[in-house]
Amino acid sequence: MAYVATRGGERAIEQSERLYRAELGQIDAARVAEIRHALPMLIDRVMGEASLYEPDLAALALAQAGGDLYEAVLLLRAWRTTQPRLTIAQPVLQDQLFTLRRISAAFKDIPGGQILGPSLDYAHRLLATGVLQGRPYVPAAVQPAATPAPARQPSLAAWQKAQGLVADPARADVAPDDIPDLTREPLLFPAARAHTLQSLARADTGGMLALGYSAMRGYGNAHPTVNELRLAEADVRVRHPGGTVFSAGRVKVSQAEVTSKGKSGLLELGFCATLGWNEVKVISGATLDLNAPGAAKGSPVEEEFFLYHTEPVEASGFCIHFKLPHYVTFQSSLDALRGAKAVPAPHEPEKVPA
Amino acid sequence: MAPRKVPPMFDQGSDPAQPFDHARLLDVLARADADRLATLAEGLLTALGPVEVVQSRTGLVMLPMRDTVQGTDFHLGEVLVAEAHIRAAGTEGYGMVVGRDLNRAMAMAVVDAAASLGQTPQIRAFLHHEATAQAATDTARLREVEATRVDMETF
Repeated sequence: MAYVATRGGERAIEQSERLYRAELGQIDAARVAEIRHALPMLIDRVMGEASLYEPDLAALALAQAGGDLYEAVLLLRAWRTTQPRLTIAQPVLQDQLFTLRRISAAFKDIPGGQILGPSLDYAHRLLATGVLQGRPYVPAAVQPAATPAPARQPSLAAWQKAQGLVADPARADVAPDDIPDLTREPLLFPAARAHTLQSLARADTGGMLALGYSAMRGYGNAHPTVNELRLAEADVRVRHPGGTVFSAGRVKVSQAEVTSKGKSGLLELGFCATLGWNEVKVISGATLDLNAPGAAKGSPVEEEFFLYHTEPVEASGFCIHFKLPHYVTFQSSLDALRGAKAVPAPHEPEKVPA
Repeated sequence: MAPRKVPPMFDQGSDPAQPFDHARLLDVLARADADRLATLAEGLLTALGPVEVVQSRTGLVMLPMRDTVQGTDFHLGEVLVAEAHIRAAGTEGYGMVVGRDLNRAMAMAVVDAAASLGQTPQIRAFLHHEATAQAATDTARLREVEATRVDMETF
């Protein structure tokens, strides 16, 4: 690739940015608060892809980017680099999650039961057009049960392992400081599982859906069924200087396992989790995880393929960089094209009799 | 998977006469109502005397999670927190809260320092009140969640 330094565009650039921002108008605290309040699913999606949990900042990023998700994620990833890393929290365990939704499509009678939680899964998708005619849409209130649901739900995978339905590989404890970290190390292949899962947690929702969907439609090795889907809040458990471990508060997380009957005679599981609530992302990610073992090179379910192509900042950045001046590169292509046209077609070589 | 000791969620703080253990105290302070926490902290400052602020900043806490398939710990992402660390009256106080509210973290550190010198009736009453309010919030949410439990019948 060739680049060339040019000048003369300063005024155009300045006015271009002004034109963009003028469309968005004044951004104030009230607008940010309204975005945070009105669009929690979008806030969650942006926080997950930015890999930074702070709803106010995510709302601000969305306000500044005018809702362009890739710009918002880039703003947050960039801002994140201004902050020191204070510590690494204790690992979140599935059966410790403050669980608000937990369902299984594979097993009807899961230990702990099926709890739909907040969901539009069974809702009619009707646009409330009356709102535009001045009739506010007021949602009906939930009728609470007499007793609360348990705050914590057992792990279905742990139960399946105990039943001998799922392989239970031995695990070694890793100190939090030694967990591989993509923000400090490059992604290399074959990837450490910790890198794979971290990369999926930060990945672009749309990209994961496209590749996960291709596997679901048959361009993969295994058809997924949702083993367990959870929307929950996780305690951020940190250490006091005196040694006491405590929760500094809760953050929203979502997590999915998908399953398929493996060749070994056991159920195989794929896993994905992310910050914020994002069901499409974790089901797609778990499908990719399930399909990755033994995938052919260049297939959408091959780890290298799906991890490289779902990194939102790299992918969107590479895409939009093609808008930037490529005159030299393109000029050389043009020269070659014109040259080829100008040169008369070579004569057919005379046929030499054998 | 080694089971981790589960701290009881709803049964601590029910007896105002009992002191809170340190972990529970910090849990409750980190989730306490910001205004009430600040009011308590301001009231406790006089007794603490001069306060040395060791740290008052925002920063990132990396949050790992354990994968349920292979038991691999991996990083979910970073959480922005506010942190405060103080020294006063020969003791230390520490606060960390999810979010970027430095005042909340500082108020937590002040109460932590004061409580380390003794959980006075005022501190204990505050903790009891907040713990009750937090449990009530959780219970109300979980009653709504319970309403979505599927009572499935197969034909």
